[in-house]
Amino acid sequence: MTAPGRLRRRTLLRAAAAGAAAATAGCAGGGRGVQVAVVWSGGELAPFRAVVARYGSPVHVVSAGNDIDAFLRARQLAGTSPDVAILPRPGLVTEYARRGWLSPLTPAPGHGVPDGLAALLDSGGRRYGVWVKAAHKSLFWHLPSALPQPPATWDDLVALTRRLAARARRDGGPAPLAIGAADGWVLTDWFENVLADVAPDGYDALAGPDADWAGRPVRDTLDRLAEIWSVDGAFPGGGRRALLTQYEESIIQVVHTRRAVMAFEGDFADSVVRRFRRGPEEPAAFRFPGSRPGDGPLIVGGDAAVAFAGSRAGVDFVRWLTGADAFAPWLRAGGYLSDTVVPLDRYADPVRRRLAREMRTAGTLRFDLSDRLPGPFTGSDGVGIWRIMQDFFADVTGGVRASEAVRRATRQLAAAARNAGGGR
Amino acid sequence: MSRLPVLGEPVVLDDVGPPRRGRAYPAAGATSALLLPAALLLGGLVLWPVLRTVHASVTSDGRWVGAAHFRAALAAPGTGAVVGRTLLWALLVPAVVTGLGYLLAAASRRSQEGGLVRLILVVPTALPLVVTGVTFRLMYDPDPSRGLATLIAARLTGHTGDAVPQLLGPGLVTVALMSAFVWAWVGLAVLVFRAALDRLPSSLADAVRAYGGGRRHVLWDAQWRPLLLRTVAVVFALVALGTSRTFDLILVMTPGSVRDEASVLALRVWQTSGGTTTGEGAALGVIWLVAVAAGMLVAALFVRQAWPPPRAVDPPEADPASAPPRRPLRLLAAGAAVAWLVPLAVLVATSLHGPVEAAARGWWSAPPSLASYRELVTGGELWRLLAFTLLLATGVTATVLVVALLAAYPLAWLTGPAAQVTGLLLMTAVVVPVQVIAGPVNEVLGVVLSSGTARGLALVHVALGVPFAVLVLRNAFADLPADRVRAARLTGRNWWGTLRRLARQCRPAILAVSVLEFVQVWNDLVVGLLFSGPDAAPLGLFLAGQTRGFVAGSGVLAAGSVIASVLPVVLVVLARRQLVAGLVSGGVR
Repeated sequence: MTAPGRLRRRTLLRAAAAGAAAATAGCAGGGRGVQVAVVWSGGELAPFRAVVARYGSPVHVVSAGNDIDAFLRARQLAGTSPDVAILPRPGLVTEYARRGWLSPLTPAPGHGVPDGLAALLDSGGRRYGVWVKAAHKSLFWHLPSALPQPPATWDDLVALTRRLAARARRDGGPAPLAIGAADGWVLTDWFENVLADVAPDGYDALAGPDADWAGRPVRDTLDRLAEIWSVDGAFPGGGRRALLTQYEESIIQVVHTRRAVMAFEGDFADSVVRRFRRGPEEPAAFRFPGSRPGDGPLIVGGDAAVAFAGSRAGVDFVRWLTGADAFAPWLRAGGYLSDTVVPLDRYADPVRRRLAREMRTAGTLRFDLSDRLPGPFTGSDGVGIWRIMQDFFADVTGGVRASEAVRRATRQLAAAARNAGGGR
Repeated sequence: MSRLPVLGEPVVLDDVGPPRRGRAYPAAGATSALLLPAALLLGGLVLWPVLRTVHASVTSDGRWVGAAHFRAALAAPGTGAVVGRTLLWALLVPAVVTGLGYLLAAASRRSQEGGLVRLILVVPTALPLVVTGVTFRLMYDPDPSRGLATLIAARLTGHTGDAVPQLLGPGLVTVALMSAFVWAWVGLAVLVFRAALDRLPSSLADAVRAYGGGRRHVLWDAQWRPLLLRTVAVVFALVALGTSRTFDLILVMTPGSVRDEASVLALRVWQTSGGTTTGEGAALGVIWLVAVAAGMLVAALFVRQAWPPPRAVDPPEADPASAPPRRPLRLLAAGAAVAWLVPLAVLVATSLHGPVEAAARGWWSAPPSLASYRELVTGGELWRLLAFTLLLATGVTATVLVVALLAAYPLAWLTGPAAQVTGLLLMTAVVVPVQVIAGPVNEVLGVVLSSGTARGLALVHVALGVPFAVLVLRNAFADLPADRVRAARLTGRNWWGTLRRLARQCRPAILAVSVLEFVQVWNDLVVGLLFSGPDAAPLGLFLAGQTRGFVAGSGVLAAGSVIASVLPVVLVVLARRQLVAGLVSGGVR
């Protein structure tokens, strides 16, 4: 072949490569400001964009959704990590820190966090994450007309459930409880609330490396759960149907179709409540009842911001986020609960103001346990503690004796904890 | 293999067969450089990652651990059930699709309504599998006030809605998933069988009859032995390989509580290793890879040993002598068409309700509104997603076409064992499940690209699309009549001119490859799930993400699904004749 022929071939190859690059370059983002990967989507993403719009340089927000862990691992492997990530679980913060993926952080002065929460983000004596958003996970949502007198204690709740279930069986009235058992985290949130009430001292130990998942606290908690879940007619359509009900649908069953009287979930449920409420009546929420009146458990979840190693811009941005005023637009818009000491009058949203006060005055805050569990034990669809709690739910609603169901569940929990490198 | 294109594999499987005369191109110097782009892509993003996965399956942090990962993976609770379910998918579903496909192809031949029936059956093959999942989950909703199937079951059995067997429940979820898959794939089988039946010379049947053969003999001697055996093998193998696409369906259709009851190897590998590939995940991946490759080899062998089919002398356009199928068969075809329309109707009807109505009651009990579309269109995200996905699909298709044309040209004149070996290698590259190599591919992307993951996403799509495109184009080149090749070589001043002239002769194949690659990327979920990045979330991923709150978002989700389906359906329906001409006819010949 002649020289021109060769030349042409090379040109063509180059053209092909350039074509590939051009075809794809068009898809890539433009100028690089601060890149932030967040777990939020939809209703939470928009107010967060309003928050970062006030930052000095351009901020590029990427919604990675619930698979943010897989997303960040892949990015780290490819060397294209974002500057900042907002993570849904403290376990991820410490794990990334141990691997050396993160920069240590110093929050802005005046960034106060309740005791015990901040330490969850430390690794090797240094802080690698800061809390930016909290979730109050100890609420029951209901319509005041359907439930004028909320139960004050756990025993009241069980009695109420039995009474309403009997009525529902008799004349087809609404079932007492809606539960999104198709989402494993709903069940783990139930478990954590009861655990914090039954065995306050054993709660934090279960997150540690020597957790005893077959011990007394866990068994007592499961007994209690079996007590209420096994009530015949407790859930609209029964347990089988509840296992196919997602969390949003359980709220809809209370506020819209009114097939159930109350649904347990966190403060974030109010976006579903607002979207699906019907008629003039305002749905309300009461605290998860404990053994004694006025002393219910308080479980909080939260999202933490981290900066990836080597990103100066990321560290600066996180520091800015922890400033007293950073989240003002979201506070004004409503739907935001802070775990820092934001003055209560800054909350535009009355529900959140009440919850923030509760979080501040509660004796002990406990952080969501399943979010602190190691490895796959922490749970996702069909995996870990989510799956085990769903099996337990299926057992107790399906007529398996409570003692047998508890035995099976504790065995599975202990085995899963062992495999994940925690527990004994 | 999760990338297995919807149409056209017959030509690929066929090509493993004996060499054809068209391969006898004159050699043209050092054209091996033309293979370079394809070789780099396949070597870097398929072969090397496969080797890395194999390596990861026998090591732990670089230390040799032998079969420990394999033992652990196989001993994990539920692995046996997962493997069994994967096998069930690979055997039962292809059998059903093949049988139904043949019946419907025979029933819809030579009748007036046949064309319409086939059109209806083809539409589901063009839908993104995510949309198929959304559609069937809407239909199978366990609440009789929303789910059509549950309502009908409750009416038929006289139970209350809560006592009816749950199609999405742990007992029946696999059946529900399979029904969705069959719905989506039968159209393909019908197309292939129809092309095969049309190729059958009617003189053969006449000859059998002349010797006193009955209906059964005609079926056996004039249809089964000369052609259908081979076509059945091709369709069966295709669908069997395609069943690993159930991944998309499972992610979209199953609520978290029944995901384990529906799990297959694809899902298990993804659950154990996610975006990285280590230890047990790698071991499961290797097992899966070996099974898929072995299945592919068996299929290739089977197809090759089948009866050599007659060459189609004249296209059997209209054969006035042959009668349309009997009445019950025609009714069957019409019934199937109606049944196949129901899920589409459910999807569209749900999308025509406001978000609140769609979540709270059935689409039959509320007045229609465009509120869901309005919410989607004004949400701002949709346009960005559509633009990004369009750009991605177009860019990937163009790149694949260029790379594949360059590589197919020199490969087309290989003959004998060399041609068969390259055919097998390319075929193996087509069937590699992307979940198995996700981790290593990410490593390679990290080395190749400094930043910008939309580029990485496109690159992975290109690498996964190239082997199939090369196969089809190589066959198209090889099938060109010798005189046309000679003419192109005489008039073309250099290899580039010749290639251009030859490519012009292969227009149906090029069109078919383009449409398939475009639809493939547009409909993708799994590549987006594993490799998307900042600002690079494609449409399929967005829809799948919305299914987390399925009931609450069903109106908007249905509207989004309809919008996402328009383009692939229009493309496939418009180009279906060319698709058949360019791909399928080559396969069953």
